[in-house]
Amino acid sequence: MNDVQTTVLTVIEQLLERSDKSGVVVTLDSVIHGDGLSLDSLETAELSAILEDEFGSDPFAAGLMPETVAEIVAFYGAGEGAAAS
Amino acid sequence: MIELLRRAAARDAEAVAMIAESGEWTFAGLASEAESLAHGLRDAGIDRFAIASNDIPRVVALLAASSLVGAEACVYAPDITPEEMDRQAAAFAHPVVVSDRDDLGEPEVSVVRPASLLKDGPPLDVLPERRPLMVLTTGSTGTPKGVRHDWSRQLARMEQARDGSGQVWLLAYGPNQFAGLQVLIHVLGTAATLVAPSVRRPQAVLELIHDHGVDHISATPTFWRFMLAEFRADPRPVPDLRQITLGGEAAPGSLLEELRATWPSARLSHIYAGSEFGSTGSVRDGTDGLPADLLEVRDDADVSLKIVDDELWVRSSASMLGYHGEDDRPADEWWPTGDLVEVVGDRIVFRGRKTDVINVGGVKVHPLPVEERVSAVPGVKVARVYGRVNALVGAVVAVDVVVDDGVDEQALKASIREACADLPRPWQPRSIQVVEELAMKENKVVRGGAATD
Repeated sequence: MNDVQTTVLTVIEQLLERSDKSGVVVTLDSVIHGDGLSLDSLETAELSAILEDEFGSDPFAAGLMPETVAEIVAFYGAGEGAAAS
Repeated sequence: MIELLRRAAARDAEAVAMIAESGEWTFAGLASEAESLAHGLRDAGIDRFAIASNDIPRVVALLAASSLVGAEACVYAPDITPEEMDRQAAAFAHPVVVSDRDDLGEPEVSVVRPASLLKDGPPLDVLPERRPLMVLTTGSTGTPKGVRHDWSRQLARMEQARDGSGQVWLLAYGPNQFAGLQVLIHVLGTAATLVAPSVRRPQAVLELIHDHGVDHISATPTFWRFMLAEFRADPRPVPDLRQITLGGEAAPGSLLEELRATWPSARLSHIYAGSEFGSTGSVRDGTDGLPADLLEVRDDADVSLKIVDDELWVRSSASMLGYHGEDDRPADEWWPTGDLVEVVGDRIVFRGRKTDVINVGGVKVHPLPVEERVSAVPGVKVARVYGRVNALVGAVVAVDVVVDDGVDEQALKASIREACADLPRPWQPRSIQVVEELAMKENKVVRGGAATD
């Protein structure tokens, strides 16, 4: 577990808590939409804004549509210097 | 403008018109200075010019001089950079900037010192027929627009003005702002005294308010919110204010309550004005919004209002002549203010700026109701709500807040979300940032609320 993973997981857990979905367990394999974390468009938009605040960039703004938490983490190069961007 | 100074001087030649760092000025002294400057403008053949000065009595004397000889004056932001000054002088075809600043370097535009315009000459008794004046809008985006006015139209309402001598006002707006001009006209036109500092932030004016016994202040809700914080942090009793005027943005109910609780016997007024449509006068009942009976249009009224597609339109005898570089507009033209309103009972209530509407995935969100909820959260000093660009839904509602010292940010963010939980989901803030200060420009949140510039 590196820093980027920890931050991404924490951000998503807090977002779920605010959306009254605190029972959902978040792992790297969690699917963001559909039956997984079932984030709707507004929640995904919020995630995009928070990730940008945390890392200075975010996969959604870059035109990607990550399907799993792992794909979000991968966008930040698995933590290699991403936090400095 | 000159006629206001002369009238007050005729009543009492020694009455103090203005108090500034450069000293105290009587009405007679200002009128005399203005006449000398008028001769100087005429001798130098200057019929259009800009002013860049933070010595407000000097600005007033130059404005009065311009109104005496029919030269079109335009006040730039007092702290304008030399580069921006050159840009504006080019954009508005100003051949001359009158300035007492020593930090301008060597701008391209010709700079004239006010002292070099002081000339003697015979009394100037006849006012010219055309007396133009230009005000720059201070919109949040892009180059300002030059809004052409006429002194006679701006001053018509002051002919019947009450005598305000003995009142001490504070200038809380910049002299370049339309609201600042309105304060100058009102205070000088009622023979009251104006305390006009070069720095007009709440923190900086606290001492002046106490020292000079300021008892009348006209300012934006943002200014009042910070002024209240300064008074609270100050060990002295709050000064005895008699008049509290708000303008420039819609005032949240919580702020009005706080002002009323702090100064129960003061009169609380609102001014609704804009650079283009002028001032619609003040509403003195202390409630936000405008009385709905102003919507009953009468042909002889100075100001009429109507609502078209939720937007407020104004027709006023004090509206502009037209924009710089454009022809004069019809004097009785209806003007769309850009302010979205709703009639609730007998009140016209402001819902936000037309251009401020945030489009969240196709849902139109008005920032104002969100801002009111966030502002009311304990620990929040001031809040600004805006649309933050978002790749997924176009924009999300974002909030910047300035918070009280020592507040737990995580708990505060939770309270802010809680306070907005009753709003439809697209309206709820998706981004909350604690900031040191909001982007403020001379007593005005950049986004603006109502239409005053």
